[in-house]
Amino acid sequence: MRIVNRRDFLKASSSLGIAALGARALDAFAQDVLNVGVVHQYPIGEVGWETQHALGWKAMEAAFPGKVKVTVVADVQQAQDSERVFRELASQGNKLIFGTTFSHMAPMLKVARTAPNTHFDCCASVTTLKNMGAFEARNYEASYVAGVIAGRMTRSNTLGWVGAFPIPQTVWRMNGFMLGARSVNPKAVCNVVWINTWNDPAKEKDAVNALISQGADVLAGSPNTPVQGVAAEERGAWSIANCSDFSKFVPKKQLTGDIFDWRSAYIDSARDALAGTWKAQDRFRGLGEGGFCAMVPYNAAIPAEVVADAKQREKDIVSGKLKVFAGPLKDRDGKQRVAAGGSLSDKEIRSINWLVEGINGPFPKS
Amino acid sequence: MDMVVSVIAATLGAGTPLIFAALGELVAEKSGVLNLGVEGMMLVGAIVAFITMRSTGDLWLGVAVAGVAGALMALLFAFATLTLQANQVAAGLALAIFGAGVSAFIGKGFVGVTLENRADAGLSLPIDIPLLSPLLHSLHPLVYVSWLLFAGVSWFLFRSRAGLVLRAVGESPASAHAVGYPVIRIRYLATLFGGAMAGIGGAYLSLVYAPLWLEGMVAGRGWIALALVVFATWRPARVMLGAYLFGGITIVQYFAQSAGVAFATQFMSMLPYLATIVVLVVISRDVAMIRLNAPVSLGKPFHPGV
Amino acid sequence: MQLRLEPRALQSRAMRYASPLIAAALTLVMGFILFAALGKNPPAAFYAFFIAPINSVGGLAELFLKASPLVLIALGLAVGFRSNIWNIGAEGQLTLGAIAAGWVALDPAFADSPLLLAAMIVAGILGGMAWAAIPAFLRTRFNANEILVSLMLTYVAQLLVNWLVFGPWRDPQGFNTPQSALFADGALFPILIANTRLNASVLLTLAAVVVSWVFLEKSFLGYKTRVVGLSSAAARYAGFSEKRTVWVGMLAGGAAAGLAGVGEVAGPLGQLLPTISPGYGFTAIIVAFVGRLDPVGIVFAGLLMSLLYLGGDSAQISMGLPAAAAALFQGALLFFLLGADVLVNFRVRVIRAVPLDQPRAAL
Repeated sequence: MRIVNRRDFLKASSSLGIAALGARALDAFAQDVLNVGVVHQYPIGEVGWETQHALGWKAMEAAFPGKVKVTVVADVQQAQDSERVFRELASQGNKLIFGTTFSHMAPMLKVARTAPNTHFDCCASVTTLKNMGAFEARNYEASYVAGVIAGRMTRSNTLGWVGAFPIPQTVWRMNGFMLGARSVNPKAVCNVVWINTWNDPAKEKDAVNALISQGADVLAGSPNTPVQGVAAEERGAWSIANCSDFSKFVPKKQLTGDIFDWRSAYIDSARDALAGTWKAQDRFRGLGEGGFCAMVPYNAAIPAEVVADAKQREKDIVSGKLKVFAGPLKDRDGKQRVAAGGSLSDKEIRSINWLVEGINGPFPKS
Repeated sequence: MDMVVSVIAATLGAGTPLIFAALGELVAEKSGVLNLGVEGMMLVGAIVAFITMRSTGDLWLGVAVAGVAGALMALLFAFATLTLQANQVAAGLALAIFGAGVSAFIGKGFVGVTLENRADAGLSLPIDIPLLSPLLHSLHPLVYVSWLLFAGVSWFLFRSRAGLVLRAVGESPASAHAVGYPVIRIRYLATLFGGAMAGIGGAYLSLVYAPLWLEGMVAGRGWIALALVVFATWRPARVMLGAYLFGGITIVQYFAQSAGVAFATQFMSMLPYLATIVVLVVISRDVAMIRLNAPVSLGKPFHPGV
Repeated sequence: MQLRLEPRALQSRAMRYASPLIAAALTLVMGFILFAALGKNPPAAFYAFFIAPINSVGGLAELFLKASPLVLIALGLAVGFRSNIWNIGAEGQLTLGAIAAGWVALDPAFADSPLLLAAMIVAGILGGMAWAAIPAFLRTRFNANEILVSLMLTYVAQLLVNWLVFGPWRDPQGFNTPQSALFADGALFPILIANTRLNASVLLTLAAVVVSWVFLEKSFLGYKTRVVGLSSAAARYAGFSEKRTVWVGMLAGGAAAGLAGVGEVAGPLGQLLPTISPGYGFTAIIVAFVGRLDPVGIVFAGLLMSLLYLGGDSAQISMGLPAAAAALFQGALLFFLLGADVLVNFRVRVIRAVPLDQPRAAL
């Protein structure tokens, strides 16, 4: 069974409450029921990173009614604790266990080595084992499309980016955004401010204000709260949503957004586990059907030809005609990173630690 | 021009939660009560204000509820320290930790929820003065309230009779008691006031500054407010100065990054904390001045006897 | 009729030991009400929270593993707390200990040395002490409040480890993710019980319990520390240096926290990560107080606090209890204890209404 209709999915997931889902008792003796454990690093909120994962496992439940039982453990912030929680979930008969963040990789690797009969799947992991898969979004594809729109909509040719931490996931997203913007507006630049925290929204707002005051008129960024969009709207600037659709909180000035869609990550893994054909995979998917990222509906204020252009690029990316990191590509120090005709390999993308031309601001040197 | 206005406006905005919390704590400390639980009270204020505003849409009701919640948290502290004579430092730390737990508990259904943009503009001057008019207009009404609070606290402490009594209680509870002042009751009231202001400082963060709820979103501002009181040598005007200085450092480093200053950002993020330490050292090294300004009985329990 | 507190001439010894039990009982009552309010069956929730996590060898190993850093740090802090030196920056000192140990572990020069772990332990202790020395110096030299300085340094330490794992110490083979390379086996504490995570670092904690008991109860320096804590005027009269007490109190806390940092990176973590501690430095403050600043008491308090952590996760898995419940319990426990402590120094007396014409005792 496959979920094809977004509206049906939303209906199904909203009829189930988080509270009801979290409190399922485990039944180790039940036959043909797959017990699934999911560990979240932070509490599951209304929008944001954890929410997108919750939408994923809720879709999985809806896809296999009565066949999967999900146990959710939220707010497991540190590696010391996640290892214990993964082990406990495994020992209590969960046959498929999901980690939802890069921080879960190291502890999950340790537990997976000692629980060979349990399947593990970890979001943003860069390592796989025989019984531990990984899934990650090529969200630079989505951020590229967002960049195309940003590049067309900016009047000052200055974009702003609020960064939390310079992890590869953020870096490839920034690079995609900038390449998209430059593809339609060679004069565009992007200023970056790093705030070094995921959970101090007041700092996000300060960073947005600093960027706007110095000319930025389209804001994007990596801390996954709607605060940047709200702060930008307050100052009359456009914004790009990250992780989730924030239009509920940013009703007027959200251009679009590049969001995660983990439904197929959870559903495919559970289907294989139910069928007994589960194999550890390293899934790295972008836009399109069954992909791990998606675009937020475009703002009605965007001119039709810009929307048409963006939609065409979405199609070209999905069909493989357009490669975001295609050569010739130089980093911002002028060093050639991809020769003409080539493009970055998946491995190069996933360990990316350089910025493309046009991005200004501090960046850690390795 | 626009940039000057926005740097100043952002600095004033960043200092405001610190002003509420620090002025409240200053009054409590002037009565001799050292409440280290500001961070916890701010967190609880932030979440209850957020829930109130989200369900009623009324900013001022949210602020009021946050004040009450902060005062209730302070009441817990006051009961432990003033009635049950518990160690103030220990009880304050307990309050900080407890407040973090309580706020996370109450707020678990609200993580990431964001309030819609509200047009709470500041004053509109009848005439157009460059810099000043756009600046005053861009400030949130709560910023003006923080200025009123400053004026009120200054007047109360140094111009009113009640303030004199409160200071006397902080200086020498035994003699204040001997003269017939209800030392414990006065300390209760001062502590509750401190809690209420901390709650409102938290409300400013979750309603105006952010505006959303995240666990631990006060992010150390309660502790910085405590440092500000020492920095200010227990004088309201210096609290204002310190709060804006601290806010300014945070803001300026973002402007520097945005302008392309490529220095390791972690070190830039350390600046506000390092600056706090430096200022504490500079102020505290003058022992005579601290002695002169610090309430003599600060942190010491007082038992009126029978 | 009213209740009135009367100061006791001498502290009640019985109450010193009874008040933690009263506090624990009150916390359990609060838990009962809380569970009921959340619509959970209280006995089942209690089982899930307090029994289920430790009814196996693996569970007990986890209990000790988590209690170990809490006990260790609390022991160090207690040295200072006894003399009113308020080091609340143990979290930062732990982080610095971890950084220092990581520095040794990641240095190829030490790679095959049999003394690698020992060197890490020494480095970690020194790292924690160095971080604690800053507030100690600023307090003794410039009179700066050690509470605030040590706390501010916690934020600085956090950003420092962040900078290291994002920059110079990033794992070259790690896809540029923010973590150091995995430590070699020689840089890890040996596991004590097979198939658990319980490692030899708990033995260091055990040794620290003994050492601090001897220090506090038997040594002259410990006696001095207590005297200065009881009254700085009396101490000065007796010729004890207050400065020295500040140094001893701060450095003891720093050393213990630094060692706990080694225990984390050379134990369950096995590498440096952007965040080293799940708040152990702060929780240890509760542990120190609940344990009466007494080494034996701290062991029990540390085990209890560890159980609250484990119970929080375990009850979330089996009962769907909210994750914040554990933090709520921890804060409440300390509060109840501070409240119950009134009985140590005061006697509660029931007073019947005093007739108005009768003069009251000295007012």
